[in-house]
Amino acid sequence: MPALRLSEKPKPIDLLQIQSRIPKPEELVVLSKPLLDATIIIGKALMDCENKWAVGGDVAEVISGVNVQPNHITILSTKDGCEEVARKLVKYQVEPPHDVESELARDAIVDLKPHKVRIKSYSSRFDVEGSQLNVHGNLRIKVGEWDWGDPLDFDPDYVYVLGVKMPIVPLKMKSELYSGLGWTDRAIKIHEAVMRSRHMFG
Amino acid sequence: MPTTITEPAADVVILGVGYMSGVIAAELSIASLNNNKNYKVVAITKGPYWDYVNDFSTTKYDEWGVGLGRKYDSPLPLQSTTIRNTPYQFALPVRRYTMPIQYHALGHGVGGAAQHYGGTMGRQGPWGYQMLLQTNTRYPGTIDTINPHNDLEDWPLQYYQYEPYYVQWENAHGLCGNYNGSIDNPGSDASGYPWMSQNYKLPPHPLTSAAQLFQSTVSSAPFNYHPFPHVNALASQPYVNSYGVPVNPCVYDGYCGGPCDYACETGAKANAAYRTIPAAMKSGNFTLVVNSFIFRLDTDPTSGLVTAARYYDPQGNVHIQPGTVFFNGMWGYNMIRIMLLSGVGAPYVWNSDPTLVSGTVGRGLTNGYSPFKGTNVSGTLSNIGGNAYPAGNAGGGSVDIYDLMDDNFDHTGLGFIGGSQIGVGGYPGGGPGNITFAGGVSSASMGPQFKPSQKDKYLQTKTIVSATPFAPDLPTKDNYVDLDPHYADIYGDPLARLTYDWTQNMYIGATYLANKVKDIFTKMGASNVTVSSTVSPGAAHNDWWGHHLRGGCRIGTAPASSVWDKWNQCWSPTVKTPFNIFGAGEITNTSGDTVPSGTHVAGPQSYRAAEGIKQYLGLMTPGLVP
Repeated sequence: MPALRLSEKPKPIDLLQIQSRIPKPEELVVLSKPLLDATIIIGKALMDCENKWAVGGDVAEVISGVNVQPNHITILSTKDGCEEVARKLVKYQVEPPHDVESELARDAIVDLKPHKVRIKSYSSRFDVEGSQLNVHGNLRIKVGEWDWGDPLDFDPDYVYVLGVKMPIVPLKMKSELYSGLGWTDRAIKIHEAVMRSRHMFG
Repeated sequence: MPTTITEPAADVVILGVGYMSGVIAAELSIASLNNNKNYKVVAITKGPYWDYVNDFSTTKYDEWGVGLGRKYDSPLPLQSTTIRNTPYQFALPVRRYTMPIQYHALGHGVGGAAQHYGGTMGRQGPWGYQMLLQTNTRYPGTIDTINPHNDLEDWPLQYYQYEPYYVQWENAHGLCGNYNGSIDNPGSDASGYPWMSQNYKLPPHPLTSAAQLFQSTVSSAPFNYHPFPHVNALASQPYVNSYGVPVNPCVYDGYCGGPCDYACETGAKANAAYRTIPAAMKSGNFTLVVNSFIFRLDTDPTSGLVTAARYYDPQGNVHIQPGTVFFNGMWGYNMIRIMLLSGVGAPYVWNSDPTLVSGTVGRGLTNGYSPFKGTNVSGTLSNIGGNAYPAGNAGGGSVDIYDLMDDNFDHTGLGFIGGSQIGVGGYPGGGPGNITFAGGVSSASMGPQFKPSQKDKYLQTKTIVSATPFAPDLPTKDNYVDLDPHYADIYGDPLARLTYDWTQNMYIGATYLANKVKDIFTKMGASNVTVSSTVSPGAAHNDWWGHHLRGGCRIGTAPASSVWDKWNQCWSPTVKTPFNIFGAGEITNTSGDTVPSGTHVAGPQSYRAAEGIKQYLGLMTPGLVP
């Protein structure tokens, strides 16, 4: 059947449309395939861990809808948890658990003044199918000349990563941590994600 | 003065941006990257891009604008359809989204109809893919009696062949449930292939009191059925899908009431805009063209291949989008209409002698929704708890059985085939309209009765259970879609014309099934269990059609009776080389049972088509899958 003759009367239409602009790629939150695959492997391997653990770092934020760009996976746990994770992920292990202390690249800003931030933990490193995993047991933070803080502790939230129920460090705690360090840009990103996930009037 | 603009050529051109198109966009954009190709994917839709925060968070509670003004819906002044019951009638156009004719509004914009649907899902079982074969084998010689002018055709693949694609589609969209058909996941057929090779990736929503009562009732004697939590696409928990896209959970456990008009303010309701399109956009290989009305496909006069899509922008300019391969993901009759307008495929030509019909595009139209005039059974449960949480429709919290569906019981002498999915226990309430006092106050409940009536409304002492079961609508040679010779769209092109009436299989099955449900409600302890007047086949010509149109652009095994082959690739009598247009949607479902969501059944076809397109473009080696 031949196509019908094309209309010769194209005309503007005037129909009210509610609409938003199309977001730019950098505004969209998507966890990269290698990190997604590695996260699932880790989640399945640690499913029956006896010690408390949770995904932290930027991956925890992305899978909660926060627009950051992770390049590795971080897990927070206890010292015993770090040992247990090392046993369960031994085939991916790059560096066995040991005490590590380091300085973060970004300073805290407290009372408008910069302060060095140091962390120490019982830590191990892994390579999970090409993605780096850092595990921190009893992570403590020290800002400037203040005392070391207590080891981070929390009740995890949960996200189903392609069906794998994954404990994650709560955004609320991360937001408070960022605010305390003066990293307001990171706290704002979390706030934006939380607002997108909530009922506006609730 | 409108002008004509030729766009840069794309490798893949997608028509419409709904559920199925989103899969093609994501799969082809990402496959292009993974193969170090720089293939460009372009998708064109007549509606806008919706951002759920900006567009829905504050404006979805505009009941007048949403429910009556239909501000999220496909504008009927732009285009509509006409409908008649028989080929001998004059078809009239749909001018309003209201009863009769078209109660449920059509989708618009990125995400399509799934921006404001109920999110209800459920796989189609193996029988649905081989209805003709199974019926002729078990009940030989009956199909022509059951379905006069029968045009039933089986799918090109069987259930077990679609099953892996079901998994892909469910993982991408984050469906909730706990297996399908039975919690112990038995074999789906004699071969023992499981109903589901993987469970749904999100748990079901919490069950209501009525659902729990239904579950315990039907799973025990004398029924011994196999209840399972209702499957739906409203994320029950925070989720990350197979493309790495994070998904917010539903904050209401199923707040999608009303006539499917309420868009989701957190993106928890699965649709392409918040599941697959973000992955495509993130790839950098994907371009989204919105507010642009596709009106024609150009074809090469020698090869017959599609060469470009033409569309109007809002200013009336004509754009020509050349491409290598095309995917038709337009909704329902629009998928058929663009092919008829463009001379792609063989148009269906009806004849009063059913042996003389010809063509395929528009053929085999069926309806996946319950007829307006159906057989209803209802009853009243007392003091089972629960409250009228203002949600519903999606069935979140309800329980289903498939035992009265497909050929799961003996149909000998019953006069119909198939059956119905029976579900009970969706949240009572009706969406935002149920929040208002205005909807619940009558003269009888004013004064001293006001507080008790409100208390009973929200903390119910009585719960109504109700069902309108029906057997599947079967394709006949008298139900079809063509171009209307009298009515045109805003640009002057003819509207799609639906020639459609409900088939007798639905009504005969409804009477049988309603009495089965009556037995269940009675056993549940309901009082006043009543079956409404049964509707005889042909006694009531419905001037209404549902929003789950199926089969008018169907896949199949034979070019003479179907539009798409097993790769959802168009066969054409005029194209000698492999045709460069693919398509998928509920309208391509060849046949099936009354699972509520033909969308879920269409889903696997989108992944199948994606593989077909990858093979066509050399992104995937042909022959790896049958």
